[in-house]
Amino acid sequence: MSLRSGWQHWAWRGIVVATLLAGALSLARMDWTRVAPSLPFIAMSLGRSWLLALISMAMGAAVAIPLALMRSYAGRWPRYGATAVIELVRATPELMVIFWVYFTLPLLTGRGVTAWTAALVSLAAIAASSLAEIIRGGLLSVPAGQIEAARALGLRRIAIFLRVVLPQALRTMLPALIAQLTALFKTTSLVSAIGVADFFRAVSVTNNAVFAPAPLYTLLAAGYFVSCWALTRVVRRFDRQRA
Amino acid sequence: MSGLAVTLAISVAGILGATVLGVLVGCLATSKSYLLQKLTGSYTALLRNLPLLVKLVFLYYVVSLGPLTAAIAALVLHQSAPIADVVASGIRSVAVGQFDAALALGLRPVEIFRRIILPQTVRVILPPMTTQYASIVKNSAVVSLIGVADLTFQTQEINVQTFRGFEAATAATLLYAAVTFLIIGAMARRTQAR
Repeated sequence: MSLRSGWQHWAWRGIVVATLLAGALSLARMDWTRVAPSLPFIAMSLGRSWLLALISMAMGAAVAIPLALMRSYAGRWPRYGATAVIELVRATPELMVIFWVYFTLPLLTGRGVTAWTAALVSLAAIAASSLAEIIRGGLLSVPAGQIEAARALGLRRIAIFLRVVLPQALRTMLPALIAQLTALFKTTSLVSAIGVADFFRAVSVTNNAVFAPAPLYTLLAAGYFVSCWALTRVVRRFDRQRA
Repeated sequence: MSGLAVTLAISVAGILGATVLGVLVGCLATSKSYLLQKLTGSYTALLRNLPLLVKLVFLYYVVSLGPLTAAIAALVLHQSAPIADVVASGIRSVAVGQFDAALALGLRPVEIFRRIILPQTVRVILPPMTTQYASIVKNSAVVSLIGVADLTFQTQEINVQTFRGFEAATAATLLYAAVTFLIIGAMARRTQAR
């Protein structure tokens, strides 16, 4: 940056300070007395949202790995099948996926599911459909020459996959994987629609009880922003390490 | 069936608004000005890290907009951030060297931007924009949670009133897929036309 743009640095610092001051002032002017007793409940529900995201991410990965392998390496019919499943879930709105698992599938099987199970299953399905594509991209990013070289050295197929392809693919995928976790964390807010007491639902239930939308929804936005922003920073660090 | 019309209307309004806002922010983000870079950077960081549902209830309960206005505004704000990033990286992929070359030919900066950079950018960004537009349609399902009678909302109504939940959910899922493919098809035709 040239000397001429020095004033812009100062202007930006001014804007940051002014925004922080205005934010602090408006937070102080809000009425927190009615909200305060519910704060532990809300904090716990934020943890529950994190738990939802992490568990369903792990479940989704467990499903995504075979899907990605089928789509990359398997014969024609398994490949078409995997592609159809992935694209079907990706084309359906997340909220519809949740409603499918909670309301519609029990109509077919005749057995009800709890909201918590439905939330985990639907989030895992959403995660799996995106993760499968990320994993496939990661696997494809390893040059074919390396696989041929490993085969020429006499490695078995499992050894090639585990020791040559996977370590390199993982390194390429890492930023996308964490970005997916951020996206999934944002999607967890939707399971409040079927009654899971996640962060979003905890805040709106509290609002129904004490009616203080301004402080509560500011808190809601802050909770999600800080969580996702922290994850985004982690992605940046990995991206920089790679570069 | 009225649910589909509402979903379509909200999606189209969302696509138009998010495109205008996203292109504006994306163009400003490529400016050399430190202040503009910081401002647009904070804009996308803020909007990218908040769930759509949070924006929706904030606009609905705290700003107290009407349900339909809040729905469209939330969709526009939500998707304008990734669209701005798409536009900015599109411009950066084109602009290197061409700006200087055009300047050397005696064109004015505004002219260069409008007649040289933007037309090329459009071609680069059409595929990622298609993805963005498809996710606006998908995300519009969330507005049913503040009582906007869109496709998802009507599906739930049918489920509650007639217990024909399976048929309704299947029809709605197919309709969402159809709208998404319609957008992908239309955008693909535009890509080929260029």
